[in-house]
This record gives sequence, structure tokens and C-alpha cells, in this order.
Amino acid sequence: MLSRLALRGNHLQHAIPTLSVSQFRLSSSSQPTSPKGQQPATVTAEERDLVNFPRPLRPMYSGKVRLGFIPEEWFQFFYKKTGVTGPYLFGSGLITYLCSKEIFILEHEFYTGLCIAIMVIFAAKKFGPGVSKYLDKEIAEYEGMWNDYKDSSVKSIEDAIAEEKKEQWRLEGQKMLFDAKRENVQLQLESEYRHRLMQVYEEVKKRMDYQVQLVNTRRMLEQKHMVNWIVDSVIKGISPQQEKEALQKCMSDLKSLAASVH
Amino acid sequence: MMTNLFSIFDPSTSQSISLNWVSTLLIILSTPYLYWVIPSRLQILIINMFNILNKELSILLSNSKKPGMTFLLISLFWLISMNNSLGLLPHIFTSTSHIMMTLSLALPIWMTIMLFGWLNNTTHMFAHLVPQGTPPALMMFMVCIESISNLIRPITLSVRLAANMIAGHLLLTLLSNSAVMSSLSTTLTISIAQIALLTLEMAVALIQAYVFVVLSTLYSTEIH
Repeated sequence: MLSRLALRGNHLQHAIPTLSVSQFRLSSSSQPTSPKGQQPATVTAEERDLVNFPRPLRPMYSGKVRLGFIPEEWFQFFYKKTGVTGPYLFGSGLITYLCSKEIFILEHEFYTGLCIAIMVIFAAKKFGPGVSKYLDKEIAEYEGMWNDYKDSSVKSIEDAIAEEKKEQWRLEGQKMLFDAKRENVQLQLESEYRHRLMQVYEEVKKRMDYQVQLVNTRRMLEQKHMVNWIVDSVIKGISPQQEKEALQKCMSDLKSLAASVH
Repeated sequence: MMTNLFSIFDPSTSQSISLNWVSTLLIILSTPYLYWVIPSRLQILIINMFNILNKELSILLSNSKKPGMTFLLISLFWLISMNNSLGLLPHIFTSTSHIMMTLSLALPIWMTIMLFGWLNNTTHMFAHLVPQGTPPALMMFMVCIESISNLIRPITLSVRLAANMIAGHLLLTLLSNSAVMSSLSTTLTISIAQIALLTLEMAVALIQAYVFVVLSTLYSTEIH
């Protein structure tokens, strides 16, 4: 690990694709994250020196290795001077030297280590892909939980915004209702006015009819009275001589009429 | 070169300052840190393991379970299992194979449980000395047996762990020693046997840790 840090320069760090931390940061960083490993501009405290001590970025993939555990950077380190076979020869030479000088003793622990190495290689080759797939699924679930929370919050806020807009649209429609309501009220007032006008007319008519009836009744009474008075005066004025003459005349008329009929 | 068979368990640093015990702290290097929100693959494994263990222990602690009671036990499990399994790797000192280490884990736990139980629920503890359903004739002997079993609990906890580790390591060492001084074909056969033994040893490492923790849980539920 330390050797990798020693060999790795700053220029290499940008070549490694990294998962930017600020996606999940809770502080106020509003800039969108970049896919390459660039430092996002964030609001930070003044005590932290981010130039010399940058925040650790998480690499997307583990570093490249050869033979399962030797980092690729060591081979690059040797490449310029010794070419492709350099590191392998160095490694085998080193192992030969250590074993022959009995610096690295092949004792009982070594054979245990050998068996462990065989087991680990076998397990990694056989169960590795299955286990990594299962673990990646779990990680995706975990990440999905965070993303779901974020997405559902965003969605609920967006829904609230849409609802708000709809309410505003509804209120615009209310404005149309104002005119209709105003007109309605005017109509009602008009009808009430006319109704009352009618009432006034009828009242006035009633009064006038009454007066008319009054006048008619008076005239009728006067006429009747006059007729009665005239008849009475005429009857009073009739003398008995006249009555008798009238009666005789009537009888002679009746006789002549009866003779004309037969 | 081994002077005797048990010298593999001896400290191989200086006589005055045994730096072997620093290997107990190797778990700090192997536990992944939680700097980022999304766990890595190893973290998911460890978190899942802790969740399973938490469920198991909660079932055992059922009536008297308060939130956070399992933390100590899960950390204990992690310590013991890591020490056991890291000790299988070559040249790494197995600290849990020494009774000094296991007793210093078991004795405080047992002492705490006993002191708390006997000082606070004395009649309860006395009542537990005679289990339910014993025939009256056996009650005297049951008290003797139960009190002796209570008293030897720290010894059993520590010695079980240490003896399992010693036995496994001893077998592996014996096999490997015979592999050192034999031909290639014999070495291959011995390696196959060693692979089987190593699988067993890795299982034993985890199981012994689990047994230690579960027994501690059970002892602590007895005092309620």
C-alpha cells in the first residue's frame, strides 16, 4: 500500500475513475459531480487545508495487480530499465537468494502457508464471482435505498409543485366565476326590482279599482233612487179619472185584438 | 527449529518485552472503516454477519433485552474470531491460544455476572441452584453440582477456547513438520490432509468464538 502511494504521482490520480464523495455529502455543495476524479468545489471549513491534504476519494475499481497480489505500478517502475521480464527475474532472484541463504526458512509454517495459499486461490477462483455478485447486489440495494429516499423526496416535492400549480390554475378559473356571480347577482336584483314594481302596480290598480267600484256603486244607487222617485211621483200624479180612462182603453184594445184574431 | 512441540506458542520476541501480544490488535487493521456512506463489499459481509449475530443473541436475551445489550458480545465475537483465524496464517501469533488471554476475557465477564447476581438477586441465585423438576431426593446433590458448575465457568470458558486453538495448531504443526523432512509426493499427500485440517480449523475458529459469546449470553440471562 505504502509503495503504491510512493510511486503514484498526482497525475495518476486523475486517471483513476473515482466515485465522487459529494453526491452523498450533506454539506452545501451545489455543483454537479464530475465523472473523473476531480475535486468538487465545496463549502469547507477554513481549518482544513484541502490542497495538501485532500479528502480521500473512493476508487471505483481496485488497483490493477499481476499474479493476484503484485501491484501493476511495480512492473511499470521496472519497465524503463529492465523491460518486460525485469520484475519477474528480480522476484525469482530474490526468492532464490532468500531460500539459499536460509534467510527465509522453509519450515513447518511455510507448508501451512502453502496450503492456505492453495485454498485461497481455489476459493477465490471458484466462489469469487458468485460472492462478488451477491455482495454487489447488496451494495446496490443499499445504494438504492439512499437513492430511493432521495428520488421519493424529489418526487414528492415535484408533486407538491404540480399541485400548487394546479391550484393556481383553479384560482384563475375562479376569476371567471366572479363575472358569472356578479351577473347572477345583477339578475337577481333585476328580478326583485320587477317583482316589486309589479306589486306596486297591482296595489295601485287595486286602489283604483276600488275607487271605480265606489263610483259605479254610487251611480247605481243614485239611478235606482231616481227611478224609484220618478215612478213614485208618476204614480202619485195619476188621478182616478185618468186611471179609469186608461183601463177602458185597455179593455177596448184587448177586445179589438181578440176580434182580429178570431 | 522447535525445541519442543509447544514452542510454537512461545513468544518469539525478546525475553523481557514480549511484543507478541500486539498481534491481538491486528483486528484494527482488518476492520474496514466507515468513512463513506455506501459500504464496500467487505463491509457488507461484516455488517451482515453482525446483523445475524445480533438476531441470534436477541432471541437468547429475549425477556431482558434492552437496545445495545448485544454490542459488547458482538465485539467480543469479532475479537476472538479474528484472533483465532488470523492465527492460522503462517508466522502470526495466536493470542487466544494462551490461557492468559482467554481467562482475561472470561473471568471479568463471569465475575461481573456473579457479583451482580449474588449481590442484587441473592434469593433468586440460591433458587437457581436447584433446577426445576428435580426429584426431592437429589436436591442436596444438585446444589453441590450446580454450585461447582457455577464456579468452574470461567475456567471452562477460557480453557475451551485455548485448548481448541492449541489442539488445532498442534495438529497442523505436526503435519507440516513431517512434510518438511519428506519427499515431494509425501509432501503433496500431506498438503491435501493439511487443506482439510485448515478448513476445519477455520470453522473451529468461528465456532469457538460463537460458543464463547453464546455461553456468556446464557450466563447473563440466568441472573435476570
